Amino acid sequence: MKIGVLVLEGPYQHQAADTAYHFIKAALARGHEISGIFLYTDGVNNANGYIKPPGERNIAERFSELGAQGIDVVACTACARFRGFRRDMVAENVRLSGLGALSEYLKDADRFVTFGD
Amino acid sequence: MGNKVAVLMRKAPYGSVYTAEGFRSIMGIGVFEMDISVVFVDDGVYALVKGQDPAELDMKPLGDGFPMLPDFDVTKFYVHDRSLSERGVTPDDLVMDVEIVDDEGVARVLRSCGVVLPF
Repeated sequence: MKIGVLVLEGPYQHQAADTAYHFIKAALARGHEISGIFLYTDGVNNANGYIKPPGERNIAERFSELGAQGIDVVACTACARFRGFRRDMVAENVRLSGLGALSEYLKDADRFVTFGD
Repeated sequence: MGNKVAVLMRKAPYGSVYTAEGFRSIMGIGVFEMDISVVFVDDGVYALVKGQDPAELDMKPLGDGFPMLPDFDVTKFYVHDRSLSERGVTPDDLVMDVEIVDDEGVARVLRSCGVVLPF
């Protein structure tokens, strides 16, 4: 089935982004399709291409990797502005867009899963 | 999945961005012809209490926002009865007319929507 994903928390502070990633990997391994990943509120920080965690998992690279597999990964433009997130900071294979993208995922997906607090 | 979405307000209106962003998401996705039900449970019910004055928190009162939503064709509002009573809040304390629902009523609304967005 087609699954849409919303992430509401940022990297390293909260488990939401990690769980979202593992959920998506597991869903793909089971043959499901991801209609899109929407990074909202602090979730946009998961797409910061400058993330370089010494000796730890790179959460931005994970979302970049999912984008490279052809999944639409969107970080909310307005949330990015609120957080001083410049366009050139966006990790590869992630794009900035608005709530219209979220609406499309909502309409397109058979199931929609939110990861937050 | 269709266009029926329940936006679920679970948290206090101030202290985290969740309820405010839930409100913004309603405004944001509402323009894309979504059929939205707004459901208030737990501390989420405080978002509808009259007389909010969060100026000292540098926030705008969310109680002013929700009553404007019917102008944007968002007209379905449900508030969980036990969440109100546990907090000593009555329907008369709320900024707008809503449908008061019990546990089963909340479940029925959520089931009737293809998607639940929990904030």
